[in-house]
Amino acid sequence: MAHVVLKDLVKTYGSFNAVNHVSLTVNDGEFVALVGPSGCGKTTTLNLVAGLIPITSGEIAIGDRVVNDLDPKDRDIAMVFQNYALYPQKSVYKNLAFPLQMRKLPREEIDRKVKDAARVLDMTHLLERKPRELSGGQQQRVALGRALVRDPAVFLMDEPLSNLDAKLRVQMRSEIKRFHQDLKATIIYVTHDQLEAVTMADRMAVMNGGFLQQYDSPAQVFAHPVNMFVASFIGSPAMSLVPLEATTADGETVLTSAEGWILPLSARNARKVAAATSNKIVLGARHSTIKLHKSAVPGAVPAKTYTVEPTGDITFVQAFLAGAIVNISVPPTVAVAPDAAVWLEFDQDRIHLFDGETEMALNAD
Amino acid sequence: MSIAGERPVIPRRSRRQVDGWRWAGRIFLVLMLLYTAAPMAWMLLTSIKSGFAAMQMPPQWWPEEPTLASYAKLLDPQNSVGADFLRFFWNSLFVSTMTTILAVIVAVPAAYAFSRFSFPGRKFLFFAVLLRNMFPAVIFLVPLFILMRVLGLVNTHGSLILTYLTFGLPLAIWLLKGFYDNIPIQLEQAARIDGATRFQAFLLIVMPLSVPGIIATAIYSFIAAWNEYIYAYTFLSKNDQLTLPVGIQRFFSENTTDFPGLMAASFLMSVPVVVLFLVLQRYFVRALTEGAVKH
Ligand SMILES: Nc1ncnc2c1ncn2[C@@H]1O[C@H](COP(=O)(O)OP(=O)(O)OP(=O)(O)O)[C@@H](O)[C@H]1O
Ligand SMILES: [Mg+2]
Repeated sequence: MAHVVLKDLVKTYGSFNAVNHVSLTVNDGEFVALVGPSGCGKTTTLNLVAGLIPITSGEIAIGDRVVNDLDPKDRDIAMVFQNYALYPQKSVYKNLAFPLQMRKLPREEIDRKVKDAARVLDMTHLLERKPRELSGGQQQRVALGRALVRDPAVFLMDEPLSNLDAKLRVQMRSEIKRFHQDLKATIIYVTHDQLEAVTMADRMAVMNGGFLQQYDSPAQVFAHPVNMFVASFIGSPAMSLVPLEATTADGETVLTSAEGWILPLSARNARKVAAATSNKIVLGARHSTIKLHKSAVPGAVPAKTYTVEPTGDITFVQAFLAGAIVNISVPPTVAVAPDAAVWLEFDQDRIHLFDGETEMALNAD
Repeated sequence: MSIAGERPVIPRRSRRQVDGWRWAGRIFLVLMLLYTAAPMAWMLLTSIKSGFAAMQMPPQWWPEEPTLASYAKLLDPQNSVGADFLRFFWNSLFVSTMTTILAVIVAVPAAYAFSRFSFPGRKFLFFAVLLRNMFPAVIFLVPLFILMRVLGLVNTHGSLILTYLTFGLPLAIWLLKGFYDNIPIQLEQAARIDGATRFQAFLLIVMPLSVPGIIATAIYSFIAAWNEYIYAYTFLSKNDQLTLPVGIQRFFSENTTDFPGLMAASFLMSVPVVVLFLVLQRYFVRALTEGAVKH
């Protein structure tokens, strides 16, 4: 196992930057999830680490070696491809054996490792089948198995669970996590399922438009998103973002909406607003931190409900507030009607404030 | 009336339409089959008639006294006709096989490069390759003849092999590039991560998947070389070097009345092509890459 260091990594296709100055360090034995919307450069980053496409500029080190100029086969990595990339002419057994054969392992050892991997992935009965004779989920497990038979310095996984049904996905999720814990494997794991990232990863790297937005533990990313993109991308339902304006009333900093209501700020939040580049402020709040009232309460602001979605143990309410949609969760015992007038109370200690111009999170100091 | 009630009518009507088309297609195919098969059947029938029976008017539709005499004559090396025929046959086989082997050896890496690598002038080169096929072959007859004379290749089989390659390669490359384009690049990438060099990935993973393409290319090159007439006629003048198309033509213009012999020779000429198809067709299996990647 080894650590991986990306330094100022850039990949350009023509005039388009697929990966923009990405720097990050994956520690030895760490499980890092690479998350972001489709097309943000996750696969490209992984391919750069694997050496499948040439780097435009920057540096990649695996262990203590700079691998910029090394062939993929010499980088000591295993990879699970987003589209599986199984060898169609080979049986499952031979697919799993291929990486071991290429490394010239003795036949008995190959046989033992292939059968071990097949047992772990519950595909012993599939070993003689060709990939085309497998279901999508089975193909995905073979792809995973082909990486797991080896003992590389780093595992690269590109959405390895994306095609499994919900039950198998949860099961494989714990398999991979278990595998990571047992082997202390260094894993870079691409996913756009943030639940996967949050549940599996030690740290997550959030990407957007080829840029690394934030790289931290899932808890930190969740609690302290550095900008509006991360805030709205991580968490389900998404964090609500309400564009407001900062003004001064009676010597106090307050946020005002176009609808005319005023939201007083705590001293700490007022300091955050003072750091903004303009008076445009975006208020962010997660669904569980907003209190819903059915009548006017001091400090609560007026909104109108839009949809009500009971999910069983929690009911999600969407409401219009200052032209934005706000997600609120209420206990299922609270009856809320659509298109009803409600009042929302924000928790001063748990709201997020963003600079409306730069979209960056505002800090008190 | 509800929309749901009308629904079943639509597929029924469209199925009837499809059936109409299917029958039209079948009738068309049968006509095409007759059109192509009838002359061949006539060729076979004539080849087993006696010389006299072949000339009769009205024709004998079915030979009254079938005989294999023409075949025996053509395949007998002691007979002067047979000796010539067998030599032509051998010459054709040599030229066509060499053309095919060289075409595959050159086209496979060229097509792979066009499909996988981006290098300066790639587009230009690819169209330059195709440009050759936009002109009728005869246009190049004189220039190529002059070129062959300069190279000292006139009256050698080498001149034909080279010429056939200039015709066959562009199409072979084009055809094979299509095959390589359809093989997901992730397969090679996976192989390279699994420990293969670029070349091993090509050899162990990509090549086996392109076998149908290579076979199609080979058959195409072989048939084109096997049937070619004009260049063989122009470049070769020595009797013992002639290839079958020219040989048969020249030979029988001297014996104009021997129709059964001519037909038997023509039939024998089609044998290698048919055999090639029969032997290789089992490699034309359904897409080999099925199951490789998620769609
Ligand atoms: N060979 C290429 N040539 C040009 N542009 C490319 C190439 N490969 C990728 N791109 C572009 O680079 C960007 C990043 O692609 P990438 O495949 O890394 O996205 P991704 O984050 O993996 O997305 P997804 O979640 O859909 O898999 C995309 O906008 C894509 O169009
Ligand atoms: Mg991707």
